[in-house]
Amino acid sequence: MSPHSLRVLAVAAMAVCGTQSALAQSAALVTAAKAEGQLTVIALARSWCGYGAVIDAFKAKYGIKVNELNPDAGSGDELEAIKANKDNKGPQAPDTIDVGLSFGPQAKAAGLLQPYKVANWATIPDSAKDAEGYWYGDYYGVLAFQVNTDIISKVPSDWSDLLKPEYRNAVALAGDPRTANQAIQSVYAAGASTAGADATKAGTAGLKYFADMNKAGNFVPVIGKAASLAQGSTPVVIRWDYNALADRDALNGNPKVAVVVPKSGVVAGVYVQAISAYAPHPNAAKLWMEYLYSDEGQLAWLNGYCHPIRFNDLVSKKLIPKAMMDKLPAAEGYAKALFPTLEQQTAYKEIIGKQWDQVVGATVK
Amino acid sequence: MQALLTPPENRGRNWNWIGVLPFFLFALLFLILPTSYLMVGAFQDADGGFTFANMLGLLEDNVVSAYWISIKISAASALGGGLLGFLLAWAAVLGKLPAWIRPTLMTFSGVASNFAGVPLAFAFLATLGRVGLVTVLLKKFLGFDLYSTGFSVLSFAGLALTYLYFQIPLMVLIVTPALEGIKREWREACDCLGGTAFQYWRYVAFPVLWPSILGAMLLLFANAFGAVATAYALTGSSLNIVPILLFAQIRGDVLHNPNLGYALALGMIVITGVSNAGYMWLRSQSERGRT
Amino acid sequence: MKSTTRLGAWIAFLVGAAYFLIPLIATFEFSLRMRRGEYSFDAYRAVFGDPQFQATFGYSIVMAIVTIVVGVLLVAPTAYWVQLRLPKLRPLVEFITLLPLVIPAIVIVFGYLRIFNSSSYLPLTNSETATDFLLVCSYVTLSLPYMYRSVDTGLRAIDVRTLTEAAEVLGAGRATILFKVIFPNISSAILSGAFLTFAVVIGEFTMASLLNRPAFGPYLQLMGANKAYEPSALAVIAFLITWASMGLIQLFGRNAHTRRVQPGTDS
Repeated sequence: MSPHSLRVLAVAAMAVCGTQSALAQSAALVTAAKAEGQLTVIALARSWCGYGAVIDAFKAKYGIKVNELNPDAGSGDELEAIKANKDNKGPQAPDTIDVGLSFGPQAKAAGLLQPYKVANWATIPDSAKDAEGYWYGDYYGVLAFQVNTDIISKVPSDWSDLLKPEYRNAVALAGDPRTANQAIQSVYAAGASTAGADATKAGTAGLKYFADMNKAGNFVPVIGKAASLAQGSTPVVIRWDYNALADRDALNGNPKVAVVVPKSGVVAGVYVQAISAYAPHPNAAKLWMEYLYSDEGQLAWLNGYCHPIRFNDLVSKKLIPKAMMDKLPAAEGYAKALFPTLEQQTAYKEIIGKQWDQVVGATVK
Repeated sequence: MQALLTPPENRGRNWNWIGVLPFFLFALLFLILPTSYLMVGAFQDADGGFTFANMLGLLEDNVVSAYWISIKISAASALGGGLLGFLLAWAAVLGKLPAWIRPTLMTFSGVASNFAGVPLAFAFLATLGRVGLVTVLLKKFLGFDLYSTGFSVLSFAGLALTYLYFQIPLMVLIVTPALEGIKREWREACDCLGGTAFQYWRYVAFPVLWPSILGAMLLLFANAFGAVATAYALTGSSLNIVPILLFAQIRGDVLHNPNLGYALALGMIVITGVSNAGYMWLRSQSERGRT
Repeated sequence: MKSTTRLGAWIAFLVGAAYFLIPLIATFEFSLRMRRGEYSFDAYRAVFGDPQFQATFGYSIVMAIVTIVVGVLLVAPTAYWVQLRLPKLRPLVEFITLLPLVIPAIVIVFGYLRIFNSSSYLPLTNSETATDFLLVCSYVTLSLPYMYRSVDTGLRAIDVRTLTEAAEVLGAGRATILFKVIFPNISSAILSGAFLTFAVVIGEFTMASLLNRPAFGPYLQLMGANKAYEPSALAVIAFLITWASMGLIQLFGRNAHTRRVQPGTDS
C-alpha cells in the first residue's frame, strides 16, 4: 500500500475509533451516571437561558434526579459553595458550576475544579476554554436595559441617559457587584461607554459612573429581579439580554417590558461550565456536560435567548431553525459587542470588586 | 403510694434524672453545642489558635455600619412598636370601647405577631411599593406622589414601618396583662382628689407600668435585631444589617474570613442576650409590684 | 369616664385597625391584578398549578407534622417529670427553653452547618434524609419555647400528683400513665403548642434556606424575587393558614383556662 493511502487508512481508522470511543464513552458514561442517580447543580435559575427546559429534558432523557441549589446564586456564591462542601458528599455539594469567564481560572487556581473534555471539545473556540479542560465556555449574551414601560415613559437608549433626573430612584443592577459576574460586567460596560475598552480605565470609569448615579439618587441599591421590575421598586434593570427577554415573556405584557441594547458600551459576557473537584456525582456531572454541549443542549439554550458557544458551528451546519433565529436579539448589537479577554476581566473584576464599597458605597438608606 | 411520697434522698439511688435525659441531650446537641462552638470560634484564628483578631475585625467599617443600622432599625421599630402598641392596648383595655374589640384585638395580635418574614414583605410591597395600592390611591385621589418625596418601601423608613406590623401586636400581647392590673378605682380616686389626667399618668399609672413597658420594648428590640427573613425578602442581600451580613457570609464568605462570621454571630448573641435579660429582670420587677 | 378618653381610645383603635387591615387588603388587591386591566384569580391559579408549590408546601407540612410529634414526645414527658419529681430543675429547663428566643435562628443554623457537616463526629449533612433529620431538629429547637410553655401551663392546671398516684395504685406502668392518663388531660395544651409550631414551621425561611432543603419558606422567597403577582397570592394564602392555625389555638386554648403570651418569631 502506498504511504498516502496508508495514512488515509490510518486517519480513517482513528476517526472511526475516535467516534467509537466517544460513543462508547457515552454509553458507559450513561450507565455510570444512572448508577449515581442524582446530579446537584447550583445557580441555575429556571428562566436563565431556558435552564428549566434544559434540566427537565435531561431528567426525562436519563431519569437522573437533579437537585437545583440556590437558583439565584451569583458566581462568587457558587465557588464558595464548592469550598464549603469539600468534605460533604450530600445534596448540598454542587457537582457542576456555571460561572462568569473570569471565575473559571479563579476556581482552577483554588483547586476547586476537575478537568473534563466533552466529545465536542474541538468546536469550542480556544479563547473561551481552558487548554487543560478545567473550564469551558457555554453561552454568551450582551448587557441590556430592561425597562418597565408602564412606569418609565421615556425608554433610555444609552448609559448616559440613566444619569438623567427622570430616572430618579429607578436603576438597579441584577446582582451584587462585589461577587456577581452580571453586576461586575455591568459596571465595566458603563465605564467602557465613556473610557473605551481598556480594563483599568473602564473599571475606574464604571465605578465613577455608579458613584455619580448614586449621588444623583437614581441608583437603587437592591438586586433587580423580575418581581422588583414589575412591582416598580426597580423599573430599570441592567442585565443580560437573554434574562430580560425571558422576563418579558414571563410577564406577558403585564407590565409592558422593553429590552434595549445600549448604543455604546456593549459588552458580551461569556459564561463557563466546570465540574467540581469534590463532586459527589462525577459521572452524572460528565453526562450533564455531554448533554449541554450536544446539539440538543445548545439549541435548548438558544431557545432561551442565549447564544450558545457552538453558535457558529451550529449555523455552519445549518442546524438552527429559522423561527428560533428570528426570536434572537438583533445581530447588529452583537456586531459591535466587546468580548473582554480573560486578562481584562481579571483586571477590572479586581478593581470593581474591591473598590465598590469605597467608591460607590451604596447601602439602603 | 408511700414510695411516691418519700423524698428522693431517702430512696437510695436516685434515677429520676433519666426521665429528663433525652431533653437535656437534645438541648446539648442542638442548642448549646452549636452556640458554644460559634462562641469559641469567634476567638480562634484559621489554625485554631486563640486570638482577639476577629473581635477587632468587628471594627471593620462595613461591619460597624451593619451593626449600627441593625441597632437603629431595631430601636426605631421597638420604640415605635412600643408606643403604638401601648396606645392600642390601652385603648382596648381601659378605653371603654365596645366589649368585642378586646378579644378581637388579642386574637388578631396573636396572628399578626407571627405574620412576619417573606409574606409580610410581599404585603408591604403591595401596599407601599411603587405600584402599591396606597401609593396609587394617594396619587389618584390626593394627587400626592409618594415616591417623589424620596420615600421608598425599601428604605430605612419603609423597613421600620414593615417591622411595626409584628412589633405592635407583640407589644399588645405583652403589655395587656400589665394594663389589666391597673384598677379603675385608682383613676376614680385620682379624679375625686382633683387630679388631672396628666397627674394621674405621671404619679399613678406610669410608675406601675414602666417596668412592663420598658421590658416589652427590650423584647421588641431583640426580636427585630434577630429578624432576617423580612428584610431579606424586601431588599435582597444588599441591605447591610447584621443578620443579612451573616447570611451572606454563611452562603458566600463575603467577608473573606470565616472566623469573622463567628465573631459576628457572637456579637448578635450578646446584644439579644442583654436585651432579653433586661426584659426578664424588668418583668420580675413589675410582677413584684402587682398585688 | 371622660369622653375625651373614649375619643382617644377610638382614634387609637381606628388608626391601628387601618394600619393592620390596609396591607392585607392591598395584598389581596395586588394578587388580583395578574391579568392586565381586569381583576382575576389568575395568580392563584398559577400558584396552585405550580408543581414547585405543591412539592414545597407538601414537604413543609410533612416537616411540621414530624416536628410536632418529636416536639411533643420530647417536651411533654420532660415537663411532666420535672413537675412531678424534679421541681428543682424547673428553672434550668425553663432557661433552656427560652434560649431559642434569645439566640437568633440564623446563629443556630450557622452552628449546625459547622458542627454537623461531613467532617465531624456526627455527620448529618451527608444525605437528604440526614439533612431532613437535622432540619427537624432545628425546627424542634425553634418551637421549643412555645411547646414547653403550652404543655407546662396545661400540666399546672391539672393535678398531676393525684392523677399519677391514682394510676399507680391501679397498677399502671410509666408509659401507660403518661400516654393514657396525662396526655388526654392536657390535650388542649398540646394542641395549642402544635398549631403554633405548625405556623412557625410552615413559614420558616432561614434554616431551610441555609440547609438547602426544598421547604415552603425558601420557595416563597424565590417566588418573591422572580414573579410579580404570585407572591401576593402566596402571602394571602400564608396569612390565611396562619389565621387558621391561630384560630384553632384559640379554640383549644379556651379550654385551658389560662392566658398565655406568645411572642412572634421572624425566622
